[in-house]
Amino acid sequence: MQAYVGEYASGKSEMAINQALELSQAGRLVTLVDLDTVEPFYTLRPLREYLQERGLQMIGLAREDSFGLGETGAMLNPQARWVLRREGDIIMDIGYGVQGARTLNLVEGADLSSELQIIAVINYSRPMTNSPERIKEYIESLGRVDAIVANTHLGDETTVELIHQGNLVIYYIAQTMEIPIAYAAVDRKFEGLIDPSFDNIPIKYITRYMPGAIW
Amino acid sequence: MVAPKTPKSWYLPTKPHKFCPGCGHGIVLKALGENIDELNIQNQVIFGCDIGCSLLSWDFFACDSTQTHHGRTTPVMVGIKRARPELITIGYMGDGGGYSIGSQHLLNAAVRNERVTLILVNNTNYGMTGGQMAPTTLPGQKTETSPYGRDPETTGYPTMGPEFISAITPDSAYVARATVAKYKQLKRFIRNALRNQMEGNGFSFVEVLSTCPTNWRTNAQQTWNFVEDEMEKYFPVGELKSPFGKGDKVNAAD
Amino acid sequence: MEKIIGEAKKAFLTGNETVAWAALAAGAEVMFGYPITPQNEVMHYWTRLAPKYDRRFLQTEDELSAGFTTCGAVQAGKKAFTATAGPGNVLMQEPFGMAEAMRLPLLAVIQQRGGPSSGTVVYSQQEVTLTTYGGNGEGMRIVYSTANHQEIFDYIIKGFNVAWKYRFPTFILGDGYQAKMREPMEMYDPADRGIEMIKPYPLIGLDGKIGEEREPAHLCNIYSLEEELYEVVMAHAAEYEKISPELVEWVEGDCEDAEIIIVSHGVVSRAADDAVKALRAQGIKASYFRPITLRPFPGQQLRNAIAKNGARKLLVAESAYGQLDRLLRQEIYGETIKIEHLYKPGVGIIDNDIINKVKSIL
Repeated sequence: MQAYVGEYASGKSEMAINQALELSQAGRLVTLVDLDTVEPFYTLRPLREYLQERGLQMIGLAREDSFGLGETGAMLNPQARWVLRREGDIIMDIGYGVQGARTLNLVEGADLSSELQIIAVINYSRPMTNSPERIKEYIESLGRVDAIVANTHLGDETTVELIHQGNLVIYYIAQTMEIPIAYAAVDRKFEGLIDPSFDNIPIKYITRYMPGAIW
Repeated sequence: MVAPKTPKSWYLPTKPHKFCPGCGHGIVLKALGENIDELNIQNQVIFGCDIGCSLLSWDFFACDSTQTHHGRTTPVMVGIKRARPELITIGYMGDGGGYSIGSQHLLNAAVRNERVTLILVNNTNYGMTGGQMAPTTLPGQKTETSPYGRDPETTGYPTMGPEFISAITPDSAYVARATVAKYKQLKRFIRNALRNQMEGNGFSFVEVLSTCPTNWRTNAQQTWNFVEDEMEKYFPVGELKSPFGKGDKVNAAD
Repeated sequence: MEKIIGEAKKAFLTGNETVAWAALAAGAEVMFGYPITPQNEVMHYWTRLAPKYDRRFLQTEDELSAGFTTCGAVQAGKKAFTATAGPGNVLMQEPFGMAEAMRLPLLAVIQQRGGPSSGTVVYSQQEVTLTTYGGNGEGMRIVYSTANHQEIFDYIIKGFNVAWKYRFPTFILGDGYQAKMREPMEMYDPADRGIEMIKPYPLIGLDGKIGEEREPAHLCNIYSLEEELYEVVMAHAAEYEKISPELVEWVEGDCEDAEIIIVSHGVVSRAADDAVKALRAQGIKASYFRPITLRPFPGQQLRNAIAKNGARKLLVAESAYGQLDRLLRQEIYGETIKIEHLYKPGVGIIDNDIINKVKSIL
């Protein structure tokens, strides 16, 4: 059971999708929950059908569910509220917002669950998390964080140096804050180019799906 | 001819002013001008006026002034005050601009306790456009758009502005209703509304019962009777909310 | 001016965030806004950043108020801006009209959404007519249509300067896709690029004792006589005409031997660019022309582009039902080139849409 939190456009959805598909491909029952309550019309919605075809259970809002409600910030699929009662793995994509990880309060039982891991996704190329001070300030603003995913990238302009440089800063802050790094997320096209031995931090090669959702 | 004594803050090249004979605007603007002089704030004041008869005041004062759109004086004053808190912003409008087309601005500026002073002149009709029914038209009163008299069944009752604003503002706001028929009181209420902004307390609002003989089609006696009797009967005059203490007669002898 | 960005570096962000950072870097002092999708993150990020740099924000009761408070702040001499979309843009036409009339250097970011009415919250290019010629005036506005995040940043910095230099209301016309898309771009402090930001100045609330050192400033937008208004409008028009050649911006490519010119603006021009490359690879002599300023419109430049090779056809591609097309036709009136169109109101246009259309009409 994992919940991805993080700044706007930090890569939360990307991490959630990759994790969910990986588990699903390993034969597990996986539910992917879209908890973006600030701008529910964007992010995961355009990918919904694609992901369902790949075996994921999707809880979020489809186009037809949300007709006429595109503007509202208080949109929550009722199934999301009780999602922890479902069987199998639960991967939650928590939208951004000043409430940070507190969005999880919308999920009944999240505060009591011992299996739930709250993971903060940090991209060093994001202006709000582009220095050690800003990363620290940002993580502190989130509330509870159990682990960090280092997701430094610049879209099509990502380079190996950029990943190394940015992630180093994230590792350093994680260490000072005593929060474990879950993994470093790196685009599949860099497979074999990233130093795997660094600090024993696992590298997870991911596919970027969000450009397919226009965003 | 000896010119009457005028406030120093009046802009003389635009005098005599263009209001109709017997119009109450001149009295309100005199009370405002004397206060600007006495408080010595001429160089800090930004005077903003609405559309309607209040528009005729756009170059009335020897103060920096801006003229806005119908109903939009409140947000323009708010924008100026937010940008330059050291300025003293005075919005000047009629009942149509304040209570009808600009009511959402009035309500929200009051709720936010914006540090602006608004003076709203209530003459029970839309004067400049030719005497149509206003939010403040009295029940039974004939106007060009209520030719058989205002029927509250179909058009509701007159807007009670100060009562409404008083209900939604914190105690640091200043809310009063004055009348051109009681000059000293009017001047004192406007003074309090300016002081309240100058001290940074909160939203300051004065409605002024005023006259419109041209559209009322009244002679001098009838005009005075209407504002003193008919209007005051419906719209009680006094301070509804004041951080300086209600009914405080600083200037004595109203 | 205070450094906001520091050393220029590449960042990965959305268009709306870019707006907030650009306004900050440009020295904007206050934003007034009202929630409407898809511009909300402009406010979200401005409100996160503003207090750290002593800037201000007010969430107003509606877009009328957001527009008029912006007018007030600008009159008081502060660099102020707002952002809106769709029905909010409709409401803001009233304050934008006041800004036109009183020559207020207001900057507004428009993130177009689908219309008419509430339409969709997602995307369109249907606010071209409204943003260029909305209101009861003559369209004395400066409108930049951006195509990517770098341009959003660059043109917001430029837009503030143009607004304060020429004192015509200035617009950055984006759209929901640009607002929400994530892509890399480079942020910088204007001074580091040799860009001097124009210092704002008050129109009211001036220094000097009234009656002794100066006359009072009396600003107005209404006139008693037809002739008075006529003179004001004609003076504005003359000045607008005069500065237009300095303001027009456009991009064109491959017009020298073109059989067809694809005209598009904003995000659609990215598809046009790709389409031209693909068509050229297939031996079709396609070219593109993209107005960056929609007001003033680079009409003469488009005429020149047409003349370069006597192109037979011109294809207007837009996510609207002819708004760019109408704008363009009035600007190149008299040209005999055949004008074809690809209208997709409220829907995105990709390179294949354009490629197929070009093949079907050549």
